[in-house]
Amino acid sequence: MENGTSTEGKDPSTFLGEIIGAPVTIKLNSGVVYKGELQSVDGYMNIALEKSEEFVNGRLTRSYGDAFIRGNNVLYISAH
Amino acid sequence: MLFFSFFKTLTNQTVTIELKNDIRIRGTLKSVDQYLNIKLDNVDVLDLDKYPHLSSVKNMFIRGSVVRYVMLPRSEVDIGLLEDATRREAANQAGKAK
Amino acid sequence: MADTEDAGTSSVSEPLDLVRLSLDEIVFVKLRGDRELKGRLHAYDSHCNLVLGDVEETIYVVEEDENEQETIRTIKKQEEMLFVRGDSVVLISPQA
Repeated sequence: MENGTSTEGKDPSTFLGEIIGAPVTIKLNSGVVYKGELQSVDGYMNIALEKSEEFVNGRLTRSYGDAFIRGNNVLYISAH
Repeated sequence: MLFFSFFKTLTNQTVTIELKNDIRIRGTLKSVDQYLNIKLDNVDVLDLDKYPHLSSVKNMFIRGSVVRYVMLPRSEVDIGLLEDATRREAANQAGKAK
Repeated sequence: MADTEDAGTSSVSEPLDLVRLSLDEIVFVKLRGDRELKGRLHAYDSHCNLVLGDVEETIYVVEEDENEQETIRTIKKQEEMLFVRGDSVVLISPQA
């Protein structure tokens, strides 16, 4: 546990707070993946993304200037 | 509470409800509750050839959670009022999901 | 509520603000079950229940042709005024 990253020892919502503004990958339960800049997150894990791209089976299917994702669909959020 | 109030303004109007299992039902909206459960009278099931078992049903209580869409008569919706009510609701809800 | 940021302004501090700023604008909505909607946003709440006007619905249906090849058929429908139950909503995007 020594030499951990800056997010170590904190809770998940602290992690989410720290990655606001960062490029993230979001995977939904359906398998669809979104890559974009994390604008905001709330307690339901609703997400606002900026300049995002949608990937279905690894293929780029759509781009969005802004996108709101309903939290219940989210499998994970990953900061690069 | 926004949509509960909204649907109350539409009572006695004819609406079409599409369920999550694709069944479409047209009828008179008789009542609604806080869960958006809906009571329909004078029921007509669209695509009756696909769902013949519903041919004799005259009224229904539809559980809110099985609803996908409700198609509404545009003439009965006051869009200005609805958008103002939405802004008020948004102001009330702001920050609650933090 | 004793947060530093002021809710109710035009800032985007929580995700639903993105939806709030789309009120009376055209939005794209992705739904569960391979459905998409495009229409003018007249109402929403925190569950993502929506009312949309002048809506075009697109449904994607996967079909198998004679050669057992999967093809995707799209069905388009128009609605003048549509209530959408929030639990079907996956994504909402303002259309520039």
